[in-house]
Amino acid sequence: MNSGQEPAGRFSLSVDVARSEAVVSARGSLDEAGLVELVDLLDYVIAGRCSAVILDLVEVDWLAPSAPAVIASAEQQLAAESRTLSIRSPSTSVERRLVAGGLGQLISDEEFELMPMPSAQSAAIVARVPDNADPHLPGRFAEQSGASPTDTDLVDATLRLVVELARTTVTGADGVSVSLRRHGRLATVAASDRTILEMDAEQYAAGEGPCVDASIKGRRFHARSLEDEDRWPTFTPKARALGIQAILSSPLVAHNHSVGALNIYSRQPWAFADADQALAMRFATEASAVLTDAAVDGTDDGRSERFEASLRSREVIAQAQGVIMERDGITEVEAYRVLRVYSQRTGISLRARAEEVARSTRPGHPSLGPRREGGPRG
Amino acid sequence: MAEPEPDHFDRSRRDAGLTRGELWLRYFELGGMSSAYQVEAYLYGALKPSDHDHDVIAHALNERFVELGGNHPVPYVDDPVPD
Repeated sequence: MNSGQEPAGRFSLSVDVARSEAVVSARGSLDEAGLVELVDLLDYVIAGRCSAVILDLVEVDWLAPSAPAVIASAEQQLAAESRTLSIRSPSTSVERRLVAGGLGQLISDEEFELMPMPSAQSAAIVARVPDNADPHLPGRFAEQSGASPTDTDLVDATLRLVVELARTTVTGADGVSVSLRRHGRLATVAASDRTILEMDAEQYAAGEGPCVDASIKGRRFHARSLEDEDRWPTFTPKARALGIQAILSSPLVAHNHSVGALNIYSRQPWAFADADQALAMRFATEASAVLTDAAVDGTDDGRSERFEASLRSREVIAQAQGVIMERDGITEVEAYRVLRVYSQRTGISLRARAEEVARSTRPGHPSLGPRREGGPRG
Repeated sequence: MAEPEPDHFDRSRRDAGLTRGELWLRYFELGGMSSAYQVEAYLYGALKPSDHDHDVIAHALNERFVELGGNHPVPYVDDPVPD
């Protein structure tokens, strides 16, 4: 069958709704009549409460030209309610139509021939392995020394937060990293441990792997079981040698350009259930939104002053919390409340107060002394 | 003790003239740890924030009201400080 011509239309649709997700499956040739029914089904699941909708097009061999618009509309409705839509589609022709319709990011399967990408070989890919790969949350490294973190540190701190959140919330995640293209190269900017750093570095060195593909091609790559994986012959044996069995790489996209990937690694094959994949996509979408906000002009390293200021603000508040915790022997949340109540009483912004408190500990600065500017609860 | 109505935050947000994204950025700036999605869910009342998160969002809104020449109209979870 020539996939470019509409075949004699015959399709079937079904829906399977579980508590947190709905799978809408289509088979055959999804022509305009099929789309009308698909819209009805999507409306039905959108009206439900499930947080993730999976559109299974695995057995669809032809897709009407207007399908991407229909699917995009459903995705927008779901996204407006913080819900996700992902697409399973192994057929090259179906995938082409979806990618051409701007839906490449939603595609979650990979059992099909990859589309040639003109930029795939042009980006130099090398690893940049940070000296310290610990996944410190923002706010922690500022306590380590009096030095101000650099701008890059500040941006990366947010990505470390994403890594930490993904690692703790995605079931089956043994390690997580974020790769970003900077100066034309892929680099790991946040990783949960050294094995994960090595995993990323092996992919950069080989120029292949789910992380590299997701970063370059802008859609998700899921290696469900490395034992059965043949897409990355150089990288896969190295990953298995380090005990990795499953990898889920979700693209990070800023201003419609693929800029990197969120990579989740597991020591168990078939570790990531549909709900975990949906969660990973949500983290990637969110990181993408942050990167989009941060990018000034779409270049690799562009970041808005506003976003950098936000990160600096977080740092200084965390630093002040640390000072107050030590001074008053109270918890982090209580220390925050001390700052907040002071701000509320005086009209001085919380950040400005935090700067005063943080500055008070620097050499040569008069101490704020034992005065408590609000006191903990009670 | 102030137990805000479910839509309280979103109404305050509109009164403060902030988009949801802008409010999240301000919340993030103040050290908030919840994602933009979660904060939206708090605004809609779909999720209940922790007391701490509640107060960080309230403070983000209140600082905006101060910028607009107002006071701190959005209540905190416990013992709001009398003026």
